[in-house]
Amino acid sequence: MSEASPVQAQGPAQALPVAPPIAPGRRFWRPPTGNPLGRALYLTVLALCTGVFLYPFVWALSSSLKTRNDFFDHNSRLVPHPFHWSNYLDVFRGVSDIAYKAAFGNWLWNSLWIASLAAVTVTLSSALVAFGFAYFRFPLRNFFFGCVLATMMLPGVVTLVPTYLIWNKIHFTGPGTFLFLSKNQYPLWAPNLFGSAFYIFLQRQFFLGIPRELFEASRMDGDNYWTMFWRIAVPLAKPALIVTAVFEFKASWTELQKALIYLRSDDTFTVPRGLKNLLDLYGPSNGGHGDYQVIIAGTVLATLPMIIVFFLGQRYFVEGIATQGRKG
Amino acid sequence: MANVATTVPGPLARARHWGAGFRSRDTWAAFAFLSPWLFGFVVFTAGPMIASLVLSFTDYSIIQTTHGVGFANYTTLYHDPQVRTALRNTFVFTLLAVPAHVIIALALASVLARVGRAAGFFRTVFYLPVMTPGVAIGILYLLIFNGSYGVLNTGLGYIGITGPFWTTDPNWVKPGLVLMISVWSVGASVVIFLAALVGVPRHLYEAASMDGAPAWRRFKDVTLPMISPAIFFVVIINTISGLQTFDQVYTAFFNQSTPYGTNASLMYAIYIFQEAFTFFKFGYASALAWLLFGIIGVITAIQIVVSRRFVYYEGNSRG
Amino acid sequence: MPGWRTSFAITSLIAALGVLTFAATFASAHSTSTKAGTLNIMGFGKGDDVAESRAAIATAAVGGNVNRPSGSFNDQTFLAAVASGNVPDLVYLDRQKVGTYAAKGAFLPLTSCIKSQKINMKQYRQAAVNEVTYKNQVYGIPEFYDVRTILIDNDVLDATHTPIGWLNPAKPAQLLAAAKKMVKIENGKVTRIGFDPKMPEFFPLWAKAYGVDILSKDGLHAHLNDPRAVKALAYTMSLINAQGGWDRFKSFRDTWDFFGSANQVAKDQVGAWPMEQWYYNVLAGSSPKVHITALQFRNLKGQPINYETGSAWAIPKGAHNTAAACTWMKTMTSTSTWLAAAKNRAALRKASNQPYTGISTGNSVADQAIYKQTYTSINKYFDEAVKKVLDVQRFSFGIPASPASAEFKAAWNDAVTRVLAGQQTPKQALDQAQKEAQNAINAAK
Repeated sequence: MSEASPVQAQGPAQALPVAPPIAPGRRFWRPPTGNPLGRALYLTVLALCTGVFLYPFVWALSSSLKTRNDFFDHNSRLVPHPFHWSNYLDVFRGVSDIAYKAAFGNWLWNSLWIASLAAVTVTLSSALVAFGFAYFRFPLRNFFFGCVLATMMLPGVVTLVPTYLIWNKIHFTGPGTFLFLSKNQYPLWAPNLFGSAFYIFLQRQFFLGIPRELFEASRMDGDNYWTMFWRIAVPLAKPALIVTAVFEFKASWTELQKALIYLRSDDTFTVPRGLKNLLDLYGPSNGGHGDYQVIIAGTVLATLPMIIVFFLGQRYFVEGIATQGRKG
Repeated sequence: MANVATTVPGPLARARHWGAGFRSRDTWAAFAFLSPWLFGFVVFTAGPMIASLVLSFTDYSIIQTTHGVGFANYTTLYHDPQVRTALRNTFVFTLLAVPAHVIIALALASVLARVGRAAGFFRTVFYLPVMTPGVAIGILYLLIFNGSYGVLNTGLGYIGITGPFWTTDPNWVKPGLVLMISVWSVGASVVIFLAALVGVPRHLYEAASMDGAPAWRRFKDVTLPMISPAIFFVVIINTISGLQTFDQVYTAFFNQSTPYGTNASLMYAIYIFQEAFTFFKFGYASALAWLLFGIIGVITAIQIVVSRRFVYYEGNSRG
Repeated sequence: MPGWRTSFAITSLIAALGVLTFAATFASAHSTSTKAGTLNIMGFGKGDDVAESRAAIATAAVGGNVNRPSGSFNDQTFLAAVASGNVPDLVYLDRQKVGTYAAKGAFLPLTSCIKSQKINMKQYRQAAVNEVTYKNQVYGIPEFYDVRTILIDNDVLDATHTPIGWLNPAKPAQLLAAAKKMVKIENGKVTRIGFDPKMPEFFPLWAKAYGVDILSKDGLHAHLNDPRAVKALAYTMSLINAQGGWDRFKSFRDTWDFFGSANQVAKDQVGAWPMEQWYYNVLAGSSPKVHITALQFRNLKGQPINYETGSAWAIPKGAHNTAAACTWMKTMTSTSTWLAAAKNRAALRKASNQPYTGISTGNSVADQAIYKQTYTSINKYFDEAVKKVLDVQRFSFGIPASPASAEFKAAWNDAVTRVLAGQQTPKQALDQAQKEAQNAINAAK
């Protein structure tokens, strides 16, 4: 293992932020048992902010329960009266004269599969790479990390077509399946097998926060690199991994660009792609009547799984640190 | 850490030492960990990136035959007035958006840190707008920010302020967009800041208050430095994404049913998209993209250099 | 411990694998064979009853093997298909886009198809055919014909004692006076619009009213800064400024409940405005009790004019099954098919007690037949409106096909938007648009 050396350049990789330290002995931050006035103030502020942040979703929810007539009426109340639940059924069975029956169930299932695969693969692969950048010292480390950063700086729109051509040449843009999954869906999650710059960056920060003493100790116990990674680094950086998984789930769930280009047939669509379909169909120029209330109902349905995933995952962000701290 | 020699070795020795790095077992293992990324990088990232660089020297339009045009795209870019407009809009937007985003996220995270168990609910609430898909946000934007009848101006009216015409007045389009995009999307950064805040060692706060430091001093001298790495991360990420803003602005101003995008709302990423997919000028679009790449690279480098002065990273050197 | 040569070799092997994969992807030739006889259509997913009943007839005509992925035409999806060499056999898209794709060689000229299938081009509206003709070759078969008439809310006219004769673009001063009479501004907010000129969308219509075609018939010369076009733009600006200014005007218009029963006509929120004909059907369904009149839009000479848009079928270059594509196009737009669809729709509407105002097909023979055989009276207001819509069709013009139609549209759209936002005068904006548009056309032709 190389020793500290003044010769190693303090390059950009060095100066980058250190993760919140997660070493044992850190105590979980507990709120001050301060004066009740302070508390009341905080809660008021929070309540106000909650109102602002909840508004988009509440609006979407309320609009999804309105009839078409009420939808754009700017005087109409926030609480619709009565609740027009049939909008949600209409998402599946189609609206009056439009023959199209949205395969919404299919879309939900596809999105679920793809987002889960995307999240799991990117978390694991990014963790591997991030550990490599955080723990080891090796020549060209800063150069490669610069490359990682650089991949975030080029607007994705210009690599869309060349990337598509690559997938095309390996025959993943036509019909057919590969390992039980439709070939067309691979471009939406398979690149995550190789890590993703944002998460590599994020997880590297967290790995950097793990004191080297822990690793020294395990080396002396004769552990190999894999064990150090899997037994020490990963558990200590669990909050970062959960964050990665949740964020990527959301990113994949809402991805439209790639779906537009790669997915061809209805039953392979993801939810955003399907929603866009509905938007096209119900727009007036296609003979539709602007049944936006059905589209919003579809949007709400689409958002619910994400909310569930996030709510389940966010418990680990902070509590995870606490547990690790006490265990160490 | 062990003491090291105080004299700096000469260049030859440095080079030899650097080269020796390739010999060590560490290096081999490091590249093993890096290999997934390396493979993916070459095939799915570097490949298309280089392809787009090459395309920027052509008149590629997918449909017609392609010809190399040398630096013509870059010269056109230099003279294109819309490039300046788009760049200016994007810079102004980012300059407004990033500080607003960071400050609000930090404030919210600080408040949340004091709430304890209930924080889970609030975290989800703040993250909700981030999860709301673009369609809804686009429609909402027109409704909420409507100059005469929107909720925002009505609310402002209650406290005696006449709100501007957010969606049509060129001077207010960008502030409106900043509000809609960067303020509503603080959820993700709140999560990151919260994790950082929670990790600040309690004994530091105890020591500070024993020294009689008031709350704002404690914040300034304990909290900020300890979470400066997270702040730095959020700033970099949001700058990079701010300079590439596309989705929400496109939905609000440039899609089929709301074609009222003006000079005030043309973001650089939208301009690239239009040139590529509406006008089929992929060569030019690639040149535009690489210009942005250069700009982002420079800005990020500056931010990194500045960070060495302000970002406190804990204890042991990473060297 | 492996020597540095070995470790270096191993690490570069990984990278090399990546490079090889990347390179190999470009080396292999490939061919995707579609099942023989399948017709692949892009941009025409499942739609309403008019679309589906015709599609059923056309599917039978081509032998049953039709692949219609859902969704409407999307530039990116099509371009991706072209890039990969996997073009569909047939696309369905906005007519105004045909020129650009044709000029770039992405579509096939339909001359041989028309001849072999004996498609009667004379049945289609001339303006629509012009829209899809580039350099004297037809590249698309038109479908649908959206026309614009002035929709008047009689109740607003009556309430403000505005003579209906004033709502005539041939008499700009009177139209302006009418707008001022009918507009209502309370507390600094617009609560009723007098006359909405529908800018920037209908700029071509206004320019034509003032005597100029913004694009020459061959699609190669833009006339955006013709003094008459500038005058037209200035006039519409004066209309808007007399009714509260663009900010107030638009923010009020954004609150309209366009498709619902509390729409702007039912609530008397607007006096009159030019609108596409399908809106009569919406109105009849959502608020049949409104009192409306349809008027033709007129130019300064008093002659009726109308701006039309619609869709078209086209065959991409490299399509496999051109014969089936050709049959499909012909069948979808033939008179008998349109008539069958109209009858079907009339029956459906009757069964569910919904109104039916006919279809604007782009096929003049079909239009007449549909009106004669399927239209049943709704009430005197809508009956008159439907008749007017039918009348106005022969006075229509469309934007001719041009090699840079997207840039052209963007140029004038952006110009008008800039004027609306108060950033430029009409002359400045249109001068800039003219330069941009003509440059784009010259570069593309």
